[in-house]
Amino acid sequence: METDQTATPQAQDARKLRLAQYGQKYGILIALVLLCAVLAIMNEHFLSTRNILNVLRQTSINGILAIGMTFVILTRGIDLSVGSVVALAGIVAASLATTSSTAMVAGGPYPALLAIAVGLSVGMSCGAVSGVVVARFAVPAFVATLGMLSAARGLTLLYGDGRPVLALTPEFRWIGTGEVFGIPMPVVLFALVFLIAWWVLNSTRFGRHVYAAGGNPHAAEVSGINVKRIRLMVYVISGALAGLAGMMLAARTGSALPQAGIAYELDAIAAVVIGGTSLAGGVGRVTGTVIGALLIGVVNNGLDLMGVESYYQQVIKGVLIVAAVMLDQARHRRE
Amino acid sequence: MLATSALTAPAVAQDVPQIGAAVYGLNAEFMQIWSAALEEHPAVQEDLVDVTIFDGRYHALVQQDQFETMITQEFDAIIFVPIDIDAGATAVEAANEAGIPVVGSDTRVNSDLLHSYVGSDDVRSGYMLARYVLDQIGCEGNVVILEGPIGQSAQISRLEGNMQALAECSDVNILEQQTANWSRAEAQTLMENWLTSHDGEIDGVIGQNDEMALGAIEAIRAAGLSVDDFAVAGIDGITDALVAVQNGDMASILQDARAQAQGALDVALAAVDGEYEPMSDIWTAYTDMPWNAGGDAEYSVPWTPVNDENVEALLATRQ
Repeated sequence: METDQTATPQAQDARKLRLAQYGQKYGILIALVLLCAVLAIMNEHFLSTRNILNVLRQTSINGILAIGMTFVILTRGIDLSVGSVVALAGIVAASLATTSSTAMVAGGPYPALLAIAVGLSVGMSCGAVSGVVVARFAVPAFVATLGMLSAARGLTLLYGDGRPVLALTPEFRWIGTGEVFGIPMPVVLFALVFLIAWWVLNSTRFGRHVYAAGGNPHAAEVSGINVKRIRLMVYVISGALAGLAGMMLAARTGSALPQAGIAYELDAIAAVVIGGTSLAGGVGRVTGTVIGALLIGVVNNGLDLMGVESYYQQVIKGVLIVAAVMLDQARHRRE
Repeated sequence: MLATSALTAPAVAQDVPQIGAAVYGLNAEFMQIWSAALEEHPAVQEDLVDVTIFDGRYHALVQQDQFETMITQEFDAIIFVPIDIDAGATAVEAANEAGIPVVGSDTRVNSDLLHSYVGSDDVRSGYMLARYVLDQIGCEGNVVILEGPIGQSAQISRLEGNMQALAECSDVNILEQQTANWSRAEAQTLMENWLTSHDGEIDGVIGQNDEMALGAIEAIRAAGLSVDDFAVAGIDGITDALVAVQNGDMASILQDARAQAQGALDVALAAVDGEYEPMSDIWTAYTDMPWNAGGDAEYSVPWTPVNDENVEALLATRQ
């Protein structure tokens, strides 16, 4: 940007690419703002503080999953297992933080912090297994995480004997129902995860390596980046965030259900794609993902407020996903 | 595997009837209670019958494959809890052609080839559910309805019952009526949004199952409102709901999974052996449901409203 006068052809291409990216990023943002404006006109409650907090709270779980998914998709991968990891991490953490004698791990209930640490570890372990299978054994991510989708769901049912874990301690439930300065905890966690992810992707060496490993893995390898390690790490990140989301879900609903999180991976992928991250890897922003997740959340909330049948929500989400990818393809053609 | 068991097990397995139970899925609490009750049936405990439970994994096609397995293995009778009211009919037909009696339990199937059906009338529970909420709000005010997946037999029948009760209260308005797919998380989101769009207007919540009623309660709490200001009710009597009843947050109507499972096994055993006398204690517990030599086409297991008097005892059975 600062070297406009002396621009080489490559730099011009790079600038065009950046411009296109900004255009697309703002395209999604403009769509979100327009939608909010329309909803605000059509429904008096839409812009109330309570409703805005509702939208943010309802978006937080999918938003956090989608942020993890962004890291994975940036490296040309995909993580289909997040919905199952949500259930597994949720039920394991809940079993440590319940006062119900039937579902309790011996000696419990344990402090909420310990339960949360264990839940995060469960998520990271699932991610590490997927990551190793993808990075070391060169199994396509679609297949590796499809395997984890099935295995983690099975482990959830085995661990809890197929039963829900009830009666969670108030301390544990705080991450789903608590508030900080009037802001619901899920929203606080969502914001924290976003800020950290934004910082990691934009201001750290690891972040640059994620883009490089996804944009051109071969070139990245040649320039000394440990692409395998990067690939492993993004699945660990996605797993950890799925673990966090699972515990938030259990804390929010008050019990950990073995059937929790089914098909959540689809909404997470939708948010990433709507947010402009390319499934071809290397291009995308976590800001776009958050806007994509908010767009889905606002559509669902707005249609609920207006009493529109939920089936329309699915149709609209479908149109959004395809429209976003069409935009992506149009941009590729322009380049 | 099959060959070995056939060689090593004949001494025990040959003379007792083989009965298969094809259930739609074992991921949720209700079917787990149902399955556990089947295993606890006195005839199973005394090795007078060999029962195998097949998990249909929520797919009509999986259930059909399992029927074919049972037909090939020449089971003596099948207890069927179908996922789909229409898709299950083909499976029943195949078993019928092979001369294997099929006893329906819990969920319905559109087939006149069933030997018998042991379940609970969902129209009745839908009526009781709505009636409770309407009584609580004095037959006037505004209600919302959280529905099961549109098109499932329980959703259709429970809604029919809901509407029968609502027709008796002309001063009650239905503000919203939407599916939350039996899911607590979905119901919670829906209720949060309704509490915004109908600020201060909602008096009662008709939840077609307990999970959704519990989701509504969480939404009411999250909005900073008092659950006492709402009449909330659900169906099934799952453990979380029993605890909520104990706390005075909601009402629930118990669907007796144990009676459905054990009753179906007794009827199946009578279909195999005409001399059989029922062994489960459910026939003495429910005097409204006479045994009639196991020959009735339909056995309707009564619904039990959960209240202060029976909630402690019910919770004790879940330990």
